Amino acid sequence: MVYVRKNQRDLTAAERRKFVGAVLELKRSGRYDDFVRTHVRYYSADGDDDLRVAHMAPSFLPWHRQYLLEFERALRSVDPTVTVPYWDWTRDNTPAASLWGEDFMGGNGRRGDRQVTTGPFAYERGDWPITVGVTESPFLTRNFGNPANPIELPTARELARATAETVYDSAPWDSTSRTGFRNALEGWTREAGNGRWRNHNRVHRWVGGLMLGGASVNDPVFWLHHSFIDLVWSRWQRKNPEARYLPASPPPPGSAQYRRVVARHEPMPPFRATPDDVADHRHLYRYA
Amino acid sequence: MSVAQPLSRLLPRRRTVLRSLFALTVTAFTGGALAHVATTRADGAGRAAAGGFDEMYRGRHIQGRPVAGAGFDVRVDGRPLHLMRCAGGGYLTPVDHYSSYPTPLAAARGAVDELGSARLALGAHHGVRP
Repeated sequence: MVYVRKNQRDLTAAERRKFVGAVLELKRSGRYDDFVRTHVRYYSADGDDDLRVAHMAPSFLPWHRQYLLEFERALRSVDPTVTVPYWDWTRDNTPAASLWGEDFMGGNGRRGDRQVTTGPFAYERGDWPITVGVTESPFLTRNFGNPANPIELPTARELARATAETVYDSAPWDSTSRTGFRNALEGWTREAGNGRWRNHNRVHRWVGGLMLGGASVNDPVFWLHHSFIDLVWSRWQRKNPEARYLPASPPPPGSAQYRRVVARHEPMPPFRATPDDVADHRHLYRYA
Repeated sequence: MSVAQPLSRLLPRRRTVLRSLFALTVTAFTGGALAHVATTRADGAGRAAAGGFDEMYRGRHIQGRPVAGAGFDVRVDGRPLHLMRCAGGGYLTPVDHYSSYPTPLAAARGAVDELGSARLALGAHHGVRP
């Protein structure tokens, strides 16, 4: 059965409640923290020699597509009516958005320790202790807009610069790739100053707190962010049907990216799925 | 900070080559330019270790020193801050996985900026407690 992922702003109160309830149940059972660990474990940077599957690599998009699918499968084992909603941050781009409501994601962190004190994931509620973390702090933190060095969420125009790319990715297949849709959407640039954070990376920075770190999955808004990234990729695929995943074949022995990136038909650890396997998602889910 | 940036730009992408080159470069500059930069920052109240840094930044004690074959050992209030190298020559930290900082010192300061009042976890894998 093909299910639908909705814009979070269109969810009914009951749908919001059910999504939060399923997430809290995964946390209670310990399965949520396994997802946090997976993301930490597979974050390799591109200055290292090992295989990169999740970031700074062509498989950034298909890896997260598969990762979201596994998370969604876990959610749906708790409540079969739940899907992962998406957060269109070009539209819902202020702290006043219903996304951050008391019955959904909760709001910004407070001054000082940046602790989130509202909503279902507030530490005081007792349902959301941070166990896999960069710091000793046991609570979720956020720091909307990074007031010390303020930034805005990416605009529709900025996102359009990424979707205007017509090739999926380009050599050297990392954070320095100058052309290609993948890096433009992931958001690595050579710029200095405020412009150096684009699209995907910029959203992590705007939310701030735990969303900025290696354990960013601890903030449940992570899934809504990546659901939107996946939607953007899906629409780009429809607009550019000839632009398939690259590289099509593995970089040869002796080349700089040999065994460091995943080619179209190679598995993306820890998953068995290849980029080609997840290129078309329409038999599984659709976006509303 | 501004001296180390061009150095890192010169480095090739492969870490194997990069490590030895970086070690050479750091050795060549030991007690020299890099250390000088770390001491002359307005907010760098501490002394510079050879080729590294040791200062108070926003009330936090940050230290960094080059380690043979492993890049940099960086600490915040004595606790390890695991740096990851980027192809562009910069560094990521576990506190900020979505920005590349040009030098280990900039990465350490960036981590302090984002840590707020929190303390780094000890015994961490990839900088994250398991």
